[in-house]
Amino acid sequence: MMHPNGDQGPLRETLLIVDDDAINRAILEQIFSPDYHIQEAENGRDGLQAILSGPERFCAVLLDVVMPEMDGLEVLRRLSQAGLPGRLPIFLITAEANDRVLHEAYGLGVMDVISKPVVPYIVQRRVQSVIELYQARRSLSCKVESQQARLLRQAQEIIRLNQGMVEALATAIEFRSEESGAHVQRIHDITRHLLSRTELGQGLSPGEIEEIALASILHDVGKIAVPDAILNKPGRLTPEEFAVMKTHTVQGARLLGQIPQLRRYGAYRYAADIARHHHERWDGRGYPDGLKGDEISVWAQVVSLADVYDALSCKRVYKDAFPRERVLEMIREGECGVFSPRLLACFFSVEEELSRLYRKEEQA
Amino acid sequence: MNLEQRAQLEAAGVDVGQALARMMGSEALLERLLGKFLEEPNYAALCAALERGEPEAAAAAAHGLKGACGNLSMTALYGLFTRQVDALRAGELAEAERLMEEIAPAYAAVTAAIRGGADGAR
Repeated sequence: MMHPNGDQGPLRETLLIVDDDAINRAILEQIFSPDYHIQEAENGRDGLQAILSGPERFCAVLLDVVMPEMDGLEVLRRLSQAGLPGRLPIFLITAEANDRVLHEAYGLGVMDVISKPVVPYIVQRRVQSVIELYQARRSLSCKVESQQARLLRQAQEIIRLNQGMVEALATAIEFRSEESGAHVQRIHDITRHLLSRTELGQGLSPGEIEEIALASILHDVGKIAVPDAILNKPGRLTPEEFAVMKTHTVQGARLLGQIPQLRRYGAYRYAADIARHHHERWDGRGYPDGLKGDEISVWAQVVSLADVYDALSCKRVYKDAFPRERVLEMIREGECGVFSPRLLACFFSVEEELSRLYRKEEQA
Repeated sequence: MNLEQRAQLEAAGVDVGQALARMMGSEALLERLLGKFLEEPNYAALCAALERGEPEAAAAAAHGLKGACGNLSMTALYGLFTRQVDALRAGELAEAERLMEEIAPAYAAVTAAIRGGADGAR
């Protein structure tokens, strides 16, 4: 015979016998004591109280019907109200198995009705099978829950890994331009701030804003195709050199389009658009496509401004950092790109907060 | 439990083999529960209730005796108490009283057989 307490731990291995007759209890105890701890109650009221005070302690209840204090059917009604029969198998053991009793008992969720006097191997087999079924069901639902939790953890790890790869790629490109990886991190933060704290993000879900912010750090990925001599040239670029430099937009979008895994990635469609269009201008005089006004997506516009703001605020190989007042003036006066009035209004409304990104860096 | 005791019980209408099976083969438990049957207060209660003409009390006592006889495989007595419980629940007090004529000697035979066994065990 299988012993059900093998791997189920100490809980749930107690069988409760509720019967007013000592002979009945003695016989049932004799049958089940080799496999379960036995607890006994001499009437319905005591039995009900024992169950309600800790149903998880019991693996099954054997319940007599005709008893003083409270009869078995009343106990069953109370247990049914408490929603217990689904979790704890209850067996009626009765000599009064008439139709009315059977009908009500099964309606109340009793697992089985066993007639008295009992035949040991029958009662043993019927009770034990059900106890094992309930235990298997419990351990299965535990297993499903833990598997779900594991899948969720794995999915989150994949997302983190993805972000890490994107950041690593962007940072590698920044390093080539002899800049720290902090630039891409700030572009990410400025983009997210503008989209989540101003009306620019209207119509975008928080998840989409996260994707755009992540995509923003790949805006200069095409610079990988620009020769070092041009990329790191300290002085002004010749028209020919500038023409090569400008190709980083198209090259970036092409590069992103050539990685099939990226196409399935939520941030991809933003990343390709931002890489290609972050040098377009509101007046249509930007590159590479000369898009005008709202032909340029909101996210490409936002990253474009974030890029200019960050470039002006920091030292680059070709220039020193400008003071904050001067940066704002240059942006306002259109000295360094032309942006939509709405974009500028939103930008100036939160610029105070954005400027802290740079103060923090100076402190560090 | 020796063969003689067993034969006495069988003669009094007890299916000892079936009773032992119900006790998972434990003779000790069977002897203990047979001893309990002697202390069973329901028989006296049944007689008193019938004398006073109280069918509900009689039915409760007969029901208890029926259960005990069933558990101990006292086949003859079990059949008689079953009929008596049915009669009492059907309101047939006279029939229940008449059944006592059969129940009394059967009960006496069983208790004597148990006592004989108990005495023999001493």
